[in-house]
Amino acid sequence: MRVEELTRVYGSPRQPVTALAGVDAAFGRGTFTAVMGPSGSGKSTLLQTAAGLDRPTSGRVWLGETELSGLSETALTTLRRDRIGFVFQAFNLLGALTVEENVLLPSRLSGARPDRAWFAEVVHRVGLDDRLRHRPSELSGGQQQRVAIARALATRPDVIFCDEPTGALDTRTAADVLTLLRALVDEQAQTVVMVTHDPVAASYADRVLVLADGHVVQDLPQPGAARIAEMLASLGRRRVVTA
Amino acid sequence: MTALAGRLLRHRWGTAVATLVALAAGVAILTGMGTLVESGLRYRAEPHRYAGADLVVARPEVSRTVKGFDGDTTTTTVRLPDGGAVPSSLADELARVPGVRRAVADVPVPLGNSDATGHGWSSADFAGDRLVAGAAPTTDDQVVVGRGAGTPGSTVDLVVGGVPRRFTVSGVVDGTTAVYFTDARAAALSPTPGRVPAIALRADPSAVATVTRLADASGAHVFAGDAKGRAEPSPELDARDLLIQLCGAFGGYVVLLVGFVVAGTVGLSVRHRRRDLALLRAIAATPGQVRRLLLVEAVLLSGVGAALGVPLGVLATRWVHGQLVGHRFVPDSFPLVPGALAAPAAVLLTTLVAVLATLAASRRVTAIRPTEALGEAAVETGRGSRARLVSGLVTLAGAATLSTTTLGTGGLVAVATATGMLYLFVIAIGLLAPWINRFAARVLDPVLRVVWGSSGYLAAANLRANARGAATVLTALVLAVGLGGSVWFLQDDLERTTVDQRHDGTLAQHALVSGAGLPAAALADVRAVPGVTAATPVRTTTVVVPAFDGIEPAGAQAVDPATLTRTVDLDVTEGSLAHLGEHTVAVSTLRAASSNWTIGDEAGITLADGTPVTLEVVAIYRRGLGFGDVTMATATVAGHTATGLDDQILVRSDPGTDLAAVAARHPGSRVVGRDDLTAGLADDLAISAWANKLLIGVLVGYAALAAANTMVVAALARRRELAVLRLVGLTARQVKRMVHAEQVGLLGTALVIGGVVAAWTLASVVRALTGSPVPYVPPLGIAAVVGGATLLALATTVLPVGRLLRTPPVEHIGIKE
Repeated sequence: MRVEELTRVYGSPRQPVTALAGVDAAFGRGTFTAVMGPSGSGKSTLLQTAAGLDRPTSGRVWLGETELSGLSETALTTLRRDRIGFVFQAFNLLGALTVEENVLLPSRLSGARPDRAWFAEVVHRVGLDDRLRHRPSELSGGQQQRVAIARALATRPDVIFCDEPTGALDTRTAADVLTLLRALVDEQAQTVVMVTHDPVAASYADRVLVLADGHVVQDLPQPGAARIAEMLASLGRRRVVTA
Repeated sequence: MTALAGRLLRHRWGTAVATLVALAAGVAILTGMGTLVESGLRYRAEPHRYAGADLVVARPEVSRTVKGFDGDTTTTTVRLPDGGAVPSSLADELARVPGVRRAVADVPVPLGNSDATGHGWSSADFAGDRLVAGAAPTTDDQVVVGRGAGTPGSTVDLVVGGVPRRFTVSGVVDGTTAVYFTDARAAALSPTPGRVPAIALRADPSAVATVTRLADASGAHVFAGDAKGRAEPSPELDARDLLIQLCGAFGGYVVLLVGFVVAGTVGLSVRHRRRDLALLRAIAATPGQVRRLLLVEAVLLSGVGAALGVPLGVLATRWVHGQLVGHRFVPDSFPLVPGALAAPAAVLLTTLVAVLATLAASRRVTAIRPTEALGEAAVETGRGSRARLVSGLVTLAGAATLSTTTLGTGGLVAVATATGMLYLFVIAIGLLAPWINRFAARVLDPVLRVVWGSSGYLAAANLRANARGAATVLTALVLAVGLGGSVWFLQDDLERTTVDQRHDGTLAQHALVSGAGLPAAALADVRAVPGVTAATPVRTTTVVVPAFDGIEPAGAQAVDPATLTRTVDLDVTEGSLAHLGEHTVAVSTLRAASSNWTIGDEAGITLADGTPVTLEVVAIYRRGLGFGDVTMATATVAGHTATGLDDQILVRSDPGTDLAAVAARHPGSRVVGRDDLTAGLADDLAISAWANKLLIGVLVGYAALAAANTMVVAALARRRELAVLRLVGLTARQVKRMVHAEQVGLLGTALVIGGVVAAWTLASVVRALTGSPVPYVPPLGIAAVVGGATLLALATTVLPVGRLLRTPPVEHIGIKE
């Protein structure tokens, strides 16, 4: 999975807002990458364009041998459904459906027969075996996020993107979810790309990519929470100074 | 996909119920309306009087073919008011045709004191009436009666030609309502000597060609088999025409309204669930899948709507039929078809509208990218497509053009264009509703701020932000007020004008009236009473006149021109009634404009029995609603009306003149004062206005229901928004005030626009029909409109919001959206 020369400009032509100003990055198989940066640095935009949820203004997104920017909306959706998992900060579960139905929704939409063995394994993995008939509103935040992760895993995607997966969770629940993601990378060679602003969350990753003003400013392998916090703080100071 | 659609629907049952209500009620109304039309269109009059004939020669209809501007010809056919007539001499000609075994000219003799109509004995076996006792009549004073009306040898008193006569029963037939004279006596008593409504034939098939040729030569048609029913006078056929006419007038409104409401509600339900749908897109549903999901949902709801709406429609139709029979619009014998075509058509139409509306609404939801969708989900943006704006403006321009046409023309053309204008205005407002709401919010902003303070400021902001969501409310209310206001109040206006005209125009102090008809002798009697200074016989009839694209029936009166101006003031504007005579005619302003006649024109008029006459227009008068659009001399219609009798004699007399003795001499007649005469008229008019008001009531009710529906859903969806407002520091009172201000803004806009549309249409129509530029609107009517809107606001928004405000705000804050 890699992105090349990625730019994304929002707003009107008269008042353009540049979210990404040419980002190159590659995410190898079985790696866990944290994308960090201050608010407005373009980290969520990077995640959404890489995941095919949004289209870049220019540049390319490669998933294996497939280039995403040339695909139609339907082809992009199909690809996302089969090869990309996405976990949102706000869980984004369908309240009308049970846990099981939520997890199986992507395969149901793709029309494929769900792989029951894999489903059972995924559900077991995230620890929801006894919650399958519940509705999202009957679950705690951590449980809901685990349902979302199970949903992302259910189609055996090449890569899982997480946008602030622990943003709405307390510290302990957050640790559970992050441990789960880490285990997926270690045990199943799952590729995970996660946007976060929490240095502790980022410390679970193999690598931290720091964005500022639409550029990659740091690319650190396993720096540890303290180092990350320090670096972010300096980034914040620099912004204040330049401002 | 169907299962998923069902799950999502159940989760959002509030919105689903709203859509369902709109769909089911729409199906019910369309089914009811359609069943009435279908009953009318599929009604085939069964032959009774001529059931035993092989062929019937008659002329029950008159038609006119007009060549339009585009070269196409249109033919208008009108059933003759008195059933039409053919010369009785034709019977002798037909009897000589080879293959014709018998040809009988059927001579009806109207009876003043019986439901039955007298006939010549030779026509009895065509009706299937066979003697069960006694013998056929042989002398002038003998009659054959129906079972139960007498026994051979007994006597019966019959009022014939307004004169009571005594007959001896010679025989009894098996029918119940039958009176037969000898042929000679029937011919002598006939009010239309030499003309009969039909000639019944016993003939071999070989004779048909010759019979048809002879019939054509005298303008008549040949009827055989079931078609013979069309040659008979029949209250069922009149009912059929009434139903088709009534539904023709309202069908357009109904389809328009149901279309708008269903489309609006369905569109709203899709927009209310943007977040769910965006989520589905983000999780991996293709745009096509989301569209399919919504379509399945629309079809599911339409199905349930049909299952509820069709039975409801059938019940409603039955009730309306009962009411129509009760008000004597339709005879009890008129059959109602089960609506085998109407119900499927209604279901198909609503489903189609629902599906199209879903497609249109889903285009917006599915065209955007998932991230945009997720971001945009909470707030409703967008102003509606450019196509909608352009078509709305074009329609508005069309409506404006038509409104100038309406002012430039007169008569029924003006009425027709005013109706078209009303349609276009309503469609234009439906299309432009989002922009109108936004504009109104901007205009009302300062007003709301001044009156409601900071709550008003928030209300204006909400109105602006929710301009698109409130489009359905605006459209439904404008439709209700615009349609209801113009059509309902038009009935009141017509009633009032008719009664006023009749009242102001009647100079006579008394009238001798009789349902059975008054003979010439009665007139002589009245004139002989000392103190009577003028007596005018009035015969009410119907004539067929040319209209702008065909022909149509028009109410007419035949009077004695010599005394007319002393008993009646028609308010002549041009020409003079002094010239009214056997070969001249006076017409109302409305009629003159509609038929394009001016003083001195030769007017081609068809009398009630189908006889064409050419009369010179000598006067044009204003009081056409009160006295009929056409005024002729009695001499013109003599021998061409069914009874040949006058309906009333208007009497101008010195004080103290007593007409009671005259009334006593003429059975069935009575003397009424001037005021009672118009009071009776008002009752008749109220009954005929009832049907119009019933239909308009249904339409307004449906529109109000649709508006209520939308508003309740919108109010309940605001839970979170209201909770946030309270958490940031608004008191419950301020929130309530904000909601009040919003309601005043939204409903006020709808009332003003609907009121302007209604007033403009009403003024145009009233000006054309009565000449008065200012329509009359009963104060109670205005109160009802404003009160209804207030009630609607209270019940649908203020109360639900009040309930939401009773629970602590934190409980709502967790709920998404």
